[in-house]
Amino acid sequence: MEQKLIQGSKQFLNALGEVDQKLELLQSHILDMRVSCDEAEAQLKLTNDASKSLLERAGSLREQRQEVEEKKSIVTLFLARFTLNEEDIVALTSRDVPVGKLFFEAMDKTEQIRRDCRVLMAGEDGPTKAGLDIMASTSSYLEQGFEKISRWCTNEFRELGRETIIDVTPTLQEAIKRLRSRPELLTEVLSMLSQIRQATLLSSFITALTRGGPSGLPRPIELHAHDPMRYIGDMLAWVHQTIAAEREFLEGLFGLKSDGRMVGSIRRFDYRGEEEEWMQELLDLAVGKLCSPLKARVLQTVRSQESSIVSYKIANLLQFYMVTMHRTIGEKAIVSETLKETTEVAYKVFHDAVDAQGRSLMRVPLDPDDPSLTPPPPILEHAQILREIMTVYHSSMLGDESNVGQATGFQDISNAMVDPAIEMCITSSAQKKQIRPKWDQSVFILNCLCYLQDTLDIYPFTSGKKEHVRSVIQERIALLIQEHFADLLTKAGLQALYQTCEACPVDEPLSHAPGAQPPEVKVALQKFSAWLSSPEVVQSARLSHLTAQRLHAQVHQAALGRLAKAYRRICDEVRNPKNRYEAGSTLLGSERPFGQAHLLWQIFGLHEDAGDDDGDQ
Amino acid sequence: MPIDDYNTEATELVETYDFLMKYIVIGEAATGKSCLLHHFTHNSFKDHSQHTIGVEFSSRLVKLGEKRIKLQLWDTAGQERFRSVTRSYYRGAAGAILVYDITNRESFKNLSRWLADARALASPHLVCVLVGNKSDKEEEREVEWSEASRWAAENGECLHFLEASSLTGDNVEAPFLLAARAILLSIESGILDPEKAGSGVSYGDRALRRVNSSSRLSFGSFSGSRRKKGTLKLKVQNWVPGTRCC
Ligand SMILES: Nc1nc2c(ncn2[C@@H]2O[C@H](COP(=O)(O)OP(=O)(O)OP(=O)(O)O)[C@@H](O)[C@H]2O)c(=O)[nH]1
Ligand SMILES: [Mg+2]
Repeated sequence: MEQKLIQGSKQFLNALGEVDQKLELLQSHILDMRVSCDEAEAQLKLTNDASKSLLERAGSLREQRQEVEEKKSIVTLFLARFTLNEEDIVALTSRDVPVGKLFFEAMDKTEQIRRDCRVLMAGEDGPTKAGLDIMASTSSYLEQGFEKISRWCTNEFRELGRETIIDVTPTLQEAIKRLRSRPELLTEVLSMLSQIRQATLLSSFITALTRGGPSGLPRPIELHAHDPMRYIGDMLAWVHQTIAAEREFLEGLFGLKSDGRMVGSIRRFDYRGEEEEWMQELLDLAVGKLCSPLKARVLQTVRSQESSIVSYKIANLLQFYMVTMHRTIGEKAIVSETLKETTEVAYKVFHDAVDAQGRSLMRVPLDPDDPSLTPPPPILEHAQILREIMTVYHSSMLGDESNVGQATGFQDISNAMVDPAIEMCITSSAQKKQIRPKWDQSVFILNCLCYLQDTLDIYPFTSGKKEHVRSVIQERIALLIQEHFADLLTKAGLQALYQTCEACPVDEPLSHAPGAQPPEVKVALQKFSAWLSSPEVVQSARLSHLTAQRLHAQVHQAALGRLAKAYRRICDEVRNPKNRYEAGSTLLGSERPFGQAHLLWQIFGLHEDAGDDDGDQ
Repeated sequence: MPIDDYNTEATELVETYDFLMKYIVIGEAATGKSCLLHHFTHNSFKDHSQHTIGVEFSSRLVKLGEKRIKLQLWDTAGQERFRSVTRSYYRGAAGAILVYDITNRESFKNLSRWLADARALASPHLVCVLVGNKSDKEEEREVEWSEASRWAAENGECLHFLEASSLTGDNVEAPFLLAARAILLSIESGILDPEKAGSGVSYGDRALRRVNSSSRLSFGSFSGSRRKKGTLKLKVQNWVPGTRCC
């Protein structure tokens, strides 16, 4: 057992010795490990210190990065606001982007950048480099944009400008509006437009003149060149209509609201701004180009007229259009000037024609074998022309002339027409009278003058000339009354007696004078009494040739009045004791009207004082 | 910056149109031509209207279905003394508004002469509309509707008739639209060619653009002048202006 115990213990000891050995080994290992651990710890500590600074650096780097990010977004924003992107630049500069919405937006943007940039640079720091750079680059793009607009307009005008009537698109209107800030470009574009319009209008005018509408309808204006009024009227109406259409086009182009005013009605040339000036100039030039063919045709027509009436009509038509043009495009417009010139020429041609007519009228002799006392054919024709001229004059009134103005306007014509006619009646009739002494010149002259007066009577604007004719008529009536009185005196048998009364010296008794001795007085009174029963007392055969009935009565009554006075004079003389008639009253009382002059007034149907009036009633 | 100013569809500022038509307004003096036009262009009665001296121009844009039409209107003087001037304006008109006064038989009696003049001088396919004006003065009527209507029917296929009042505005637009419609129909049927000067009608830019783009679609590429219109199909529906018309 023991053995077994010792054996066991021995084994136990052996085992423990082994364990001890192992423990010792372990301890040495642990020692080794401690050394290593210490080393490691030292190492770790070192590392720890190092990574701490690293972390710190990383943190600050992160902050820096944050800052940079922020700056970057600011810069991006700045760039977005102050630089043009690729699309903008393409829109501004490339031919592939048409002038239109996109393009205009790019233009707007460029201008906005420049405005903003200018504000920035106006700050305290003054212009920055960046600012200057931005201004420089945008300026170039902006100018390219304007160049593009101007090129586009030029093309547009090249294509559209050949049309007679152009419809303005909103894009074109916008383009022109924008070019206003580049006057040199605008001027260039508009001058080019002007050139094109001048050529276009001129060629459509020539087409209308020579070729007419499609397939010849409406007919060419020149087809009616033989009808001067229609020819000139059609040309001027064409021009007028073209002005209206062109003006509408230009109003559209410059975006002017048309004022609702009608062309043809009066335009006030108030200053409506630069556009209005542009418009007037363009209109003036475009339409002005028509003036040379217009003027040539009008003048040729005017000069080839033989009829003074047609000349007058033409002159009036031209004047009408001159006034119309003054009112619609102003006095200084080329068309207005041309119309003024041609109107003057037309009036001159007319006045020359009238003068020539007057001169030739005065050279026409009266037919000595024509016994009639009515106005001769040359006067009738002349009066007819006068009538027609008056009608034209009347119809040329625009309605705003004063009465005085109307009369003054007609004065030259009435002088040129009426004076030679009066002159002709008087002079030629005197020549005829020499050849045909029995021919009644006085009645003839009065008939002619009255005819002229009636001719003038139709219109109020002839009042001045009518007054003149009337005064000539009055002179002629006075002469006729004188003649007629002498006639009546002779026919009534009182001529010799009355003449003796008139001529007898005061200191000599009338009854002793030859021609007034009592038997002669008796014969005269008998003859007078007989004459009182003749129809001539009521009506004069001679005066019945007066075409104006009222003149007949007037002249006859005035002459009868004088006759009554002559009888009264004779009675007074016979009764006067100084004249030594024996029983003068008995002598007078033997024959009608028995020495009672007042009875004579009754017979003649006159009032006693009426006879004093030799003139008109 | 109002971008819409040049946005084509949004703006009314610029009056683009499909067609431009020239009209004359004719008839005896004092029948109310100027008043009719004034009401048409200003939408109000023209007080104290004086005789027209020569001719006066105005214009207005009208819409007929899809079509925008610009009318160039020439108001003529009715007084005899201006006849030689006004006749020159008939040349190349596409439409004529022939006006008489229903309270004045004289103004109705001469219509044949007016019509003959217009037919002789204007575009050969002139469209005429007869207007009996002053329909507000029923109590002074001297020309019956039926009589004028018969006269219109007897005087040519292009003559439409209606009564209007420039005072109340009754039927004032109708004659102008009626004429425009008839002209559009003439164009559609090929009788009238807006391409040609002197026809009294021309295309506006609006029509061109539309035609151009459709041509591009149908032919793939578009070549030739931009003024080439190809075939243009108008759709003028049975549009009846006013109540009484024939
Ligand atoms: N009651 C009434 N009066 C009208 C109407 N239309 C015109 N008038 C009157 O008729 C007269 C003549 O009108 P205008 O328009 O000047 O006549 P017009 O046809 O242009 O005349 P001219 O220019 O001479 O050819 C004026 O006094 C108007 O007031 C209408 O519809 N009803
Ligand atoms: Mg009028």
